[in-house]
Amino acid sequence: MATVTTGLRKRVPDSVKKPTRRRTNLAPFLFVLPAVLFYFVFKIVPMFGGLPLAFLRWDGIEPPVFVGVDNFTRMFEDELIPLALGNNIKYAAGTVIMKTALSLFTALLLNQALRGRGFYRTTLFTPVVMSFVVVGLLWTWIFNAQIGLVNSLMHALGLDFLIQDWLGDPHISLPSMLVVDTWRWYGFHMVIFLAGLQTIPIELYEAARMDGASRWRQFANITLPLLKPVLLVNVTFALLGGFNAFDIPYIMTEGGPANSTLVMALHIYIRGFKFYKFGYATAMSYVWAVFITILSIIQFRVLSRNTDNN
Amino acid sequence: MSNTTTSSIASQQASRIGRAFGSSIRTEQMLVRIASHAILIVLTLLILYPLVWMVFESFKTGGEFSTNVWGPPQSLQWVNYVDAWNTGKLGYALVNSTIVSLSVVVLVIVCAGLAAYAITKMRFRYGPAVFFFLIFTMSAPVPIIPLYAMLVALHLTDTYGALILPAVAGGIPFSVFMFRAYFLSLPSELIESAKVDGCTDLSAFLRIVVPISGPAIATVAILQFIGTWNEYFLPLIMIRTPEMRTIPLAIQAFFYQWGRTEWQQVFAALSIGTIPMVVLYYLMQRQFIQGLTAGAIKA
Repeated sequence: MATVTTGLRKRVPDSVKKPTRRRTNLAPFLFVLPAVLFYFVFKIVPMFGGLPLAFLRWDGIEPPVFVGVDNFTRMFEDELIPLALGNNIKYAAGTVIMKTALSLFTALLLNQALRGRGFYRTTLFTPVVMSFVVVGLLWTWIFNAQIGLVNSLMHALGLDFLIQDWLGDPHISLPSMLVVDTWRWYGFHMVIFLAGLQTIPIELYEAARMDGASRWRQFANITLPLLKPVLLVNVTFALLGGFNAFDIPYIMTEGGPANSTLVMALHIYIRGFKFYKFGYATAMSYVWAVFITILSIIQFRVLSRNTDNN
Repeated sequence: MSNTTTSSIASQQASRIGRAFGSSIRTEQMLVRIASHAILIVLTLLILYPLVWMVFESFKTGGEFSTNVWGPPQSLQWVNYVDAWNTGKLGYALVNSTIVSLSVVVLVIVCAGLAAYAITKMRFRYGPAVFFFLIFTMSAPVPIIPLYAMLVALHLTDTYGALILPAVAGGIPFSVFMFRAYFLSLPSELIESAKVDGCTDLSAFLRIVVPISGPAIATVAILQFIGTWNEYFLPLIMIRTPEMRTIPLAIQAFFYQWGRTEWQQVFAALSIGTIPMVVLYYLMQRQFIQGLTAGAIKA
């Protein structure tokens, strides 16, 4: 077969072959050009083009000075990095746990034949469309020590011993923020869990009920195993959100009190835009970007594995 | 068909078993239902009350703040809105946010739509390469200072361009991903036959593909619109003049200036910034929820 075709091909005159081979259609190139151009100039170029900045000492005004790897070695002496990293880990772990638990719980409640399901679902999702600035400022008032809603509720209920300076006390400022972040996002995770729950065939539960399995056994042996891919999606989304946290800590406390809510993105921002240490902030943002990228790759793998299963 | 029969048989059997066990199962189901409603009502109130309270506070007088913490305002102080609107330059902010968000939506849809069409429906050797390049690099974040330095070097400080261009670049990969998935579901014969009738690729795209791509366009549009409307960081580092602020930035600036004294105006500003989007959400909740969760559910 192969020899026959090659033999045939040799006999085809060049003049017939050339046009079909060489004529490249320009149209598809023009179609992808705007997207690729935008993406290249405003994403890829700053992504790599900024690397030289990491080796400079530069305040944005004076001419920059080359300092070698100083900006990178300095990170090991920066006492705020372990602090911000620790806070960030607490922030990410705390929000992942709270968002996942609360959204799974509410999704299970809404997966029943309840009247008003649609209303509950729509309402719990509402804060997702709101700006973090609005959410953060609103909760700054709710948590206000003197006149905030939380403390006046405690007072009205006679629970005065629970009255706290929710954002002013360095021991509880971070947990308070986790509540705000969870309040904003758990409706989002709930909708994803609900979509996952709806793919589980009802017959499985009916069969389990026939066998006399309790609600808990049904949850542990049917729901949870079948929900694992969706659970992973939710966890990775919340994890990335937690490590990218900036808006809420910046707006509510600017990282305070006593740096108790300082997270990495905020630390980089403050070094860069408040102290004008652009070189150092660039070096930090590259290290941090590599970390976030690794997390994203894990997320991407989780998501694509999820597609394969469906 | 067979599914419905088996499940109806199953439910018949279940109800027979229920009757056999007496009312205990029914009572349990009733209790679960009541408890579920009770919990969901509390959670709903925890979401809704802060929003309602925000609107309450925005209409109160300065004196009411400490005396009437929880309830509705005794009278509607519209003047709070007027003051917030004027001193906070919120009119500018609404216009800026609208221009920036709509520009991002349009540019992302055009760029990503064309690219996804080339990748899926045209004979294009480099289609897969372009697609995987976008997908593999999309989750790597752009380090903020290099982006800032570049936008400053391009003299984009204090311009719409500084807010629009990076947002378009950021939105393209995921939108290409969404459009590609949608276009793959469209039969190629549709486009082939249009081309036989003399359509060029562009006219086939505009006349055949675009009109039937409503769902995909809506998903991309909602995600990009809300993301850009609520974006805080980019305006924070790129915008200096008050007249160029977007809504989140204007509200935050207003709070820093007046938050200690004119709290009722701050609540008016918060309400102005929130109500349009929340109303839009309740009008089109199905599309909003679908659009915002598309990345997690469909990806």
